Amino acid sequence: MLASDLKSPADESLKKVKRLTEVFVMEPEPQVGQTPKEVIWTKNKAKLYRYQPAVKKTNKVPILMIYALINKPYILDLYPGNSLIEHLSNKGHDVYLLDWGVPGYEDRHMKLDDYIVDYIPHAIKKVLRKSKAKEITLLGYCIGGTMSTIFTALNPHLPIRNLVLLTSPIDFTDAGLFTKWLDKRYFQLDKLVDTLGNIPFEMIDFGNKLLSPISTTYGPYVSIVDRVEDDNFVLNWKLMQKWLNDGVPFPGEAYRQWIREFYQENKLINDELEIRGERVRLANIKANLLNISATRDNIALPNQVAPLNDKVSSQNKTLHSVETGHISVVTGRKAIKEIHPYIENWINENSK
Amino acid sequence: MTATLDPFKFWKEMYEKTESTWRSSIQNTLGTEQFAQSLGQIQNQYVQYQELIKTLTESYLKEANIPSREEVAKVASLIINVDTKVDDLEDLIYEQKETTSNEIDQLKKDVSNLEQKLDQVLELLKK
Repeated sequence: MLASDLKSPADESLKKVKRLTEVFVMEPEPQVGQTPKEVIWTKNKAKLYRYQPAVKKTNKVPILMIYALINKPYILDLYPGNSLIEHLSNKGHDVYLLDWGVPGYEDRHMKLDDYIVDYIPHAIKKVLRKSKAKEITLLGYCIGGTMSTIFTALNPHLPIRNLVLLTSPIDFTDAGLFTKWLDKRYFQLDKLVDTLGNIPFEMIDFGNKLLSPISTTYGPYVSIVDRVEDDNFVLNWKLMQKWLNDGVPFPGEAYRQWIREFYQENKLINDELEIRGERVRLANIKANLLNISATRDNIALPNQVAPLNDKVSSQNKTLHSVETGHISVVTGRKAIKEIHPYIENWINENSK
Repeated sequence: MTATLDPFKFWKEMYEKTESTWRSSIQNTLGTEQFAQSLGQIQNQYVQYQELIKTLTESYLKEANIPSREEVAKVASLIINVDTKVDDLEDLIYEQKETTSNEIDQLKKDVSNLEQKLDQVLELLKK
């Protein structure tokens, strides 16, 4: 009995090492973005997808999802059973997603203006044509939500019935540590963009990880070692790691604009931002608004998200706060149980 | 007595202790003016290094008669322009088609109304 007790922890450790080796070396990466879809339009590197689940599309207002320029969009369709797109599709919504693709060096001159004026309106037109609908729901995540907000403010005449924003920064008065790090006196913005063209994903990732260096670099590995025998945990861990390390470069001019006009000059909330020479006035937004902020988000702080509701003219506007982080708004246990159904229910209620 | 050392457990405990002990002091450091300043200096050095590499590579490629990234990007831009024009044309054709089919529908309605009116006139003439 004493001998077996002495042997057991070592055995456990060996078992763990074996399993960890399997996880890191032997097993293939999990497949993401599995909801069936078709490409209905392409422009440069961007693709517009229409999701095709087995369920009949019963909701008359199609949903167009717009994601940030700096990551890959499959966070919205991460894995069967853990996907906002799958959830909405299975509830009978006609879901579309605008995937920005991976910018090449030739796209370094692309500004946010180009994406907002040349891509989003075209995508909306295609969605309305394809679904034969008269109105649309725009759903934006992170910077995609900021871009959707700007677009809606610039086009109050377009049939945007609902605007759904997930952790989208609007007010940059206090962007936490980024406000300090991106200070004009120290941050060499022009030099950086002029030299690199597009800003490498690794640089943006470094900034995000620096917000909480120990927990973002060591934390994930401690947790995987701790729970390596839980298959479900391992799958979710791998999915998250894949997404976190699978970013795309930020188009140079868009980055220059994002840092200067948003972080350094805070133009959007003050109605000073101009897109292709047109002033963006948030009060022009009349669409039904669902604005979701996350209490533990250190990328888009709740105080950056919430002020939009005071600026818009929407009669129907909801500010919804959830106790998660930036990514857990769309993926993970809480998202599946609470946030996805909440979003679906809100869209459903406001699409009748 | 189970006295065998579990390295994973030890590592986890070490991480948790380090995290809880250093979290606030690290966060405080990250929020200081000096940190932002030193981050700017590191960035400046990185950019200067990248600029040097870029200049050296470009001059080598020019000497070796190999197209540079800039030149390849120019070709890609030309293709993107053509792609955009095709997309615009496709849109234009679709809109023209829609307009034409609306006009034809309207014309059909007008002709049918005219026919009805002619029938009525004929009826009246017969009387």
